[in-house]
Amino acid sequence: MGEALEKSRVTSLPGPFAVGRYARELQEWMRERPRVQLIGEVTGVGRSKVQAYFELRDSEGAVSCAIWLNDLEKSELGESNLRDGIKVVVEGGLDYYPGGGQASPKFSFRATNVRLAGEGDLIARLEALRRQLRAEGLFELQKQLYRPVLPKTIGVVTAEGGAARRDLLAGLARRGWEGTLVWAFAPVQDRHAAPVIGKALQDLAARPEVEVILVTRGGGSLADLWAFCDETLCRTVAMLRVPVISAIGHERDNTLIDDVAAFACSTPTHAPEGVVPLDCLAARETLERSAVALRRAGEGAIDARSRHLGALARGPARALQRQRDDLNQKIREIRAAAERGLAERATSQQRIGTVVLERARRRAVGADMEKRRAALHRATVTLRAHEPERTLERGYALVEGEGGEPLTSAEAVAAAEQVRLRFADGRIRARTEGDVEREREA
Amino acid sequence: MSERPESYEAAVERLEEIIDRLDSGQAGLRETLDLCKEGRDLVSYCAAELDEVGEGLKELRLDDLAAKLEVGSEQS
Repeated sequence: MGEALEKSRVTSLPGPFAVGRYARELQEWMRERPRVQLIGEVTGVGRSKVQAYFELRDSEGAVSCAIWLNDLEKSELGESNLRDGIKVVVEGGLDYYPGGGQASPKFSFRATNVRLAGEGDLIARLEALRRQLRAEGLFELQKQLYRPVLPKTIGVVTAEGGAARRDLLAGLARRGWEGTLVWAFAPVQDRHAAPVIGKALQDLAARPEVEVILVTRGGGSLADLWAFCDETLCRTVAMLRVPVISAIGHERDNTLIDDVAAFACSTPTHAPEGVVPLDCLAARETLERSAVALRRAGEGAIDARSRHLGALARGPARALQRQRDDLNQKIREIRAAAERGLAERATSQQRIGTVVLERARRRAVGADMEKRRAALHRATVTLRAHEPERTLERGYALVEGEGGEPLTSAEAVAAAEQVRLRFADGRIRARTEGDVEREREA
Repeated sequence: MSERPESYEAAVERLEEIIDRLDSGQAGLRETLDLCKEGRDLVSYCAAELDEVGEGLKELRLDDLAAKLEVGSEQS
């Protein structure tokens, strides 16, 4: 019975086929199945030299997956991010390894790309787009634009009733900025937002008076902020010739528009200092101080120099006076020395006369009285020749004061007023007139 | 003013240079007076720039501006 059943089964099925050939056909058949995306959680990650293996599973089942390391490196997830527990989307198709003489056959889902699912999926797409735009140099274009520290007209793209608008107005008021704001209100969340925001930016940039444009909205999930990661919008921003300042979401949020903008503020609260870097109130105070410093420097320079010039102008007069004083002192010294010299000479002459007379007297008392008398007479005659009277006899006059004392200088005579002129034959009173006339101006 | 500053920040930068030079005390009288004049001109320029954003916030709507522009072009 059993034998009969076996015989009938063998005969009712095609084959038998050589298993190796069957395995290769199975591989071909599987590879021809349409490629799909699977979503699930990664478990049991392992790696060989050329491939990574893992199971993708959810609560209802699992599929063995394999990916060439080359493909994993190029995938949105990145080679190093493949680990147990992450939820991923896998792109790929069925594959079958037929095995060999020793190697075991193996069925697997051959993945060609892996990316994070859900929010993770968005982040992965964002990262891919970011890499692309950076590679194209679009992050640098806006950063090369001149961004004024004190713009007078600012364009703003934001939601009409949003908190970002209130934040901006309050912040600008705190900085003392009261210029012109041109509002371009736009939806900032739904899937139509990006094109409207892009149009508003272009319209604002087309107005010549707009010096800088702010794009701002409050925080939200990455999905909420997705409009600001829109590729077309970001390319538009990169190409604008007016600097765009972005202030989107919370500090941790990093949208693509932040990368292409000229400057990215961490939150809408920081937007005012982003669009008007100059604190106008502080700037006014600084300017006031500068004006005072300049005034002081100008006035100080003139005062200091006029004092210096005055001192210089007085210099020659002082030097002249000093020279004059020195000269007068010397004149006084010379005069005193001359007077001293005259007095010493008179004393000396008197001493000589006394000595001569004494010698004569001694000689007179000697044996030859007559001879000595004659010698005495000669000596007397000689002595007389030195007496002042002899000088007077030669026509000179001696000026004396009222007391008979000799006046030997013009100043003494001028001071005396009343003088006596002594001649050889007598004295006569005289009166002086006028000041002393010097021989030479000292 | 010999020439208008390129920007507010350029003016402030030059003004700081001038004040530093004056504070150094190394400038002669002629240079001091020239720097003071240049500095006063820069202060005037900066004050005028600040005045332009100090006379009350003005808020316009891009839509209104665009509408005015269209009306203006129709009239002309």
